[in-house]
Amino acid sequence: MQTTFTPEQLTDPGTKRSNEILRTCVHCGFCTATCPTYQVLGDELDSPRGRIYLIKDMLENERVPDDKTVKHIDRCLSCLACMSTCPSGVHYMHLVDHAREYIEQKYKRSWSDRALRWILAQILPYPTRFRLALLGAKIGRPFAFLMPDARLKAMLEMAPKTIPPVSRNDDPQTFAPQAPKKMRVALMTGCAQKALNTDINDATIRLLRRLGAEVVVAEGAGCCGALTHHMGKTKESHATAAKNIRAWHKEMEGEGLDAIVINTSGCGTTVKDYGHMFRNEPLAKEAAAVAGIAKDISEVLIDLLPKDAPELTAVNFSPCDMTVAYHAACSLQHGQQIKTYPKDLLKRAGFKVVEPADSHLCCGSAGTYNLMQPEISKQLKQRKVDTLEAKNPDLIAAGNIGCMMQIGGGTDIPIVHTVELLDWATGGPQPPAMTVEGKRTPEVPILR
Amino acid sequence: MEMPAPNAAVLSKKAKIVARLQAVLPPSAVIHEEAETRAYECDALSAYRCPPLAAVLPSSTEEVSAVLKICHEEGVPVVPRGSGTSLAGGALPTADSVILGVARLNDVIETDYENRVIKVQTGRTNLSVTGAVEEEDFFYAPDPSSQLACAIAGNIAMNSGGAHCLKYGVTTNNLLGVTLVMMDGTITELGGAHLDAGGLDLLGLICGSEGQLGVVTEATLRILRKPEGARPVLMGFDSAEIAGACVSDIIKAGVLPVAIEYMDKKVIDVVENYAQAGYPTCEALLIVEVEGAPAEIDEQLGLITQIARKHNPVELRESTSSEEAAKIWLGRKSAFGAMGQLNDYMCLDGTIPVSSLPYVLRRIGELSAEHGLEVGNVFHAGDGNMHPLILFDANKPGDLETCEALGADILRLCVEVGGCLTGEHGVGIEKRDLMNDQFAPDDLENQMAVKDVFDPTWLLNPAKVFPLAVSERRRALAIAAE
Amino acid sequence: MTPNSEAELADAIASAKTPLRIMGGGTRPVGNPVAGEVLSTSGLSGIELYEPGALTIVAKAGTPVDEIEAALSKENQRLAFEPMDHRSLLGTNGTPTIGGIVAANVSGPRRVQSGACRDHMLGVRFVDGTGTILKNGGRVMKNVTGYDLVKLLTGSYGTLGVLTEVSLKVLPKTDTQATLMIHGLDFPQAVKAMSAALGSPYEVSAAAHMPDMGDGAVTMLRIEGFEQSVAYRAEQLANELATFGEITVETDAGKSAKIWTASRDVAGFENADGDVWRISVKPTDGATIAASLGADQLFMDWGGGLIWAVMPKGTDLRARMNGTPGHATLIRADEATRATLGTFHPELAPVAKISAGLRNKFDPKGILNPGLMT
Repeated sequence: MQTTFTPEQLTDPGTKRSNEILRTCVHCGFCTATCPTYQVLGDELDSPRGRIYLIKDMLENERVPDDKTVKHIDRCLSCLACMSTCPSGVHYMHLVDHAREYIEQKYKRSWSDRALRWILAQILPYPTRFRLALLGAKIGRPFAFLMPDARLKAMLEMAPKTIPPVSRNDDPQTFAPQAPKKMRVALMTGCAQKALNTDINDATIRLLRRLGAEVVVAEGAGCCGALTHHMGKTKESHATAAKNIRAWHKEMEGEGLDAIVINTSGCGTTVKDYGHMFRNEPLAKEAAAVAGIAKDISEVLIDLLPKDAPELTAVNFSPCDMTVAYHAACSLQHGQQIKTYPKDLLKRAGFKVVEPADSHLCCGSAGTYNLMQPEISKQLKQRKVDTLEAKNPDLIAAGNIGCMMQIGGGTDIPIVHTVELLDWATGGPQPPAMTVEGKRTPEVPILR
Repeated sequence: MEMPAPNAAVLSKKAKIVARLQAVLPPSAVIHEEAETRAYECDALSAYRCPPLAAVLPSSTEEVSAVLKICHEEGVPVVPRGSGTSLAGGALPTADSVILGVARLNDVIETDYENRVIKVQTGRTNLSVTGAVEEEDFFYAPDPSSQLACAIAGNIAMNSGGAHCLKYGVTTNNLLGVTLVMMDGTITELGGAHLDAGGLDLLGLICGSEGQLGVVTEATLRILRKPEGARPVLMGFDSAEIAGACVSDIIKAGVLPVAIEYMDKKVIDVVENYAQAGYPTCEALLIVEVEGAPAEIDEQLGLITQIARKHNPVELRESTSSEEAAKIWLGRKSAFGAMGQLNDYMCLDGTIPVSSLPYVLRRIGELSAEHGLEVGNVFHAGDGNMHPLILFDANKPGDLETCEALGADILRLCVEVGGCLTGEHGVGIEKRDLMNDQFAPDDLENQMAVKDVFDPTWLLNPAKVFPLAVSERRRALAIAAE
Repeated sequence: MTPNSEAELADAIASAKTPLRIMGGGTRPVGNPVAGEVLSTSGLSGIELYEPGALTIVAKAGTPVDEIEAALSKENQRLAFEPMDHRSLLGTNGTPTIGGIVAANVSGPRRVQSGACRDHMLGVRFVDGTGTILKNGGRVMKNVTGYDLVKLLTGSYGTLGVLTEVSLKVLPKTDTQATLMIHGLDFPQAVKAMSAALGSPYEVSAAAHMPDMGDGAVTMLRIEGFEQSVAYRAEQLANELATFGEITVETDAGKSAKIWTASRDVAGFENADGDVWRISVKPTDGATIAASLGADQLFMDWGGGLIWAVMPKGTDLRARMNGTPGHATLIRADEATRATLGTFHPELAPVAKISAGLRNKFDPKGILNPGLMT
């Protein structure tokens, strides 16, 4: 498209980058076809093309963002399905991130909005605080109906019924490999995931060790910054990201790292973008180095578990037609463009893998979206659950904690992380989520 | 691009109009604030923009009827809009018009495999119609390149085609019935799941009428069983003449491929750079695809390669696996995206008789040099529908105008050799003024008389298709009458 | 009147003050009776352009269909929509013209796969009721420039304008053909079998059903193409439809072709003593209606979507359709019946209004075949 930025405006690196992106958009509208909010709302303004248009107008004219523009941009899930679809290579993610930053700086949100966002930013990235909040929510859940704000209500309803105890596996330490050493990796233990579900990291560590990886939980690493980044709170997100960059870079310079393993695809997308995020800051080189070795767990496993890997046959594991519906998390399939590895791995392990219709559509979790935009999130959740249940699976597997919480709250089919199933298939325990109260435990006998 | 001046009387009563619309639609369905109407100021022809008075998003035929009734009573022009993917500016509004978007009408109403039809609401995307029947191994044939995103409503308005139309026809050959809402709100049905019109072929008239005769909210479409398989063969030639002769010979031999795609050297080079599909370096590339069972495909491809060899191809590549087939198509399918990475471009859409292909390509080369802008050629060789891609720089003053002048010359050339201005995209605003090159004044008068019957007040998409000077009297009458 | 050029034809219409009966070959007197001076197009004859490599033919409207089919045959091409020859059914003499075919949108069995006459039309030149010479469309397949009046003129029975020149898309003749025949099916089973065939990937190019009239019912399916392809598809189809009943296959191309020429022209009905109706419905409705019409003779084509019926003279067949969506056209009946029942199916009010409005625009004097369709 034609853009009308002045040379002065283009001296700002953020604006310059956004101009480059806007120039690549030809306004063809292909992106509308795969945008979840456009499917639900049918309004050009809630499509990537419309949002690009609003952002263009806002930045070119240096407008104070108005309520409507903010509403439509807030409604964006950042699922990045549009980036998968765009024939022109528009980097929508960088554009909308810049827009959110701009809005955070220039737009005065309502008091309740500001308060809510502040609370989320102060709690979610910090596991201890988050656990306390979850405990409070658990207690407050029966009173959800009293909540005046739909978002607070959604939050209470989303709180899990059980809160796992702290896992000491998440403390900084090194885990020795249990087979001849093939690689040394850092595991990102994350933030919210730790408080909600400790099985995922436990299974990841077990599996990696079993396959010959030395796993280090780096001192000083924590939240990747995605949550605050997607709120436009760039200062906060860069602060937490910088901690990670320093912690991992120290390991890279020390004993060396072959990969930084991330098992929450939402975080993986952000860590892989550290190079771009920090491009104009002192930590630029380190950030790029860290981003360069960031990998989703499935990427690492696809190498460690080739088709005839001995680990797959060492244990007498036969799922006997156990059907796993693979839910492709947006951050994994669109953000990181990883579409086949998890399915291939599950098939190699002996599971029957099916996919729901419209698998490109977001489940509505999208970070804090299900808390901030409960109406749309609920509609997307229902669509996703319907398409998954239509396949009649015994289990649902996903690569992202957010999706697991969202979908898990809408179906009684057990939902587990892909890595838990692979751990189980190579000698680990049966994933606890399969036999939890209130879930449909698969009746298929498993031979061991 | 000239557009009619907005009706001042309508502008002055915007609040009243918006209030009346809000009375018949849910709040989220009426968009009227400046910050929001801006997103509806253009379709995929983004060079021309004008925010509408308002945009409405009805969810049912009844709501569409209510909206049209109000606009009819208030004398407000209405511009129907599907997914806004038109390259001809078909959904470009004026400041006094209301955009009527059908994106919220996207249900499948009924699938009927025994009678081989599907009935859908027209806001549904083209590809998702096939999506609704593909589990039973059926498909909906017309496949414009934008099929992922374009709506059936737009397909009907523009009589869209696609690469498969050589064998399966265009939208009008696959459309069996519609629910039509007229400008005064009357709802009626044309056709149905049965074949042929019982009287005058009004269905055939509606298809391709660019949203000027009525708003189509539901459509009954033909669905076909998927062939057992399909396979492409890639051929490279030293010149356009040879490629054209080869196409002609293939057709004369009695083979009916499902698609014949042509790319010239400029596009081949750009695409190779972008997608690395492994295309040969040559002047002209053809991709021919045939369908059927494996044995049938072999039979047809045997004939085709025999014919191709007579023309001394630079390269002849059959695909023996689905990966190879995908690779052959990869370049063609990413052609537009690849060109877009280079520069801004304008995609034209003229059709020519297949026999004049070499002459036209030569002339386009000459015109391109005259105007100083580069042109790449991609097109559906089987039916002569060309898509010259003119590269320009939207941010360079004067480039857009040069681009349009070159485009107009190319389209006049198409008419000159016995072809037409537009094979798939429609006239919209883009080719309005060139209508005088293709039609005599009586012919245009005759077409406008048809619109007089359906929409005497000339409120439905009035500024499209006909040159403004030619439709002026009627549009002025409409305003005066209000 | 038999003008010899488009300009003469235009003058004749411009100066006409009384109704005109437009005549091509005079072989198809379908329509409500029209009283008027005959205006013949037989003087406008000749192929203007034929490009086999582009699948295009352009001919003056009065050109005999035979002439066109001969020219096409030389290049191994044909009119794929297989237009019916009405002469035997209607007992007429004369030479059908291509303009008449287009004016009445005449098609045949292959319509179910390849489309009707209107789906092969590329362009028209015509003279409207004021004597103005007009054109629409052109000679290329992909053409969306302006309104599609080509479709509107096709099947308008000369009530909107007199065709002077038509451009059509032609297709290659096929190498050979075969006909599958399933014996002994009733209407519902026949439609099921035909639906299964038409819904298969074997590109069935015609599907018709002859009910039992003493010789046993036979459901016929045609397969055309290259030799190996036809053999393969016929075998596959026979396997898939085996559960329906006994299947025989006519592999001789000439004999197969004869079956379909007879079906195309509804050969069994010539000597039937009764009114001939032509009904268009969706195939599954065809099965129901066929059983309930009380026809003296009946023939099903288009997989069940086209029903030819011989009814006792003067029967109002439309009343027996019980509101089933579709339409019934009275093809052969005496003038009184045609005037009473009307040849064409009554239209919905808004549609009738549009049709009347269009006729008024194209023919304000009301002289072109007035009343033929309404």
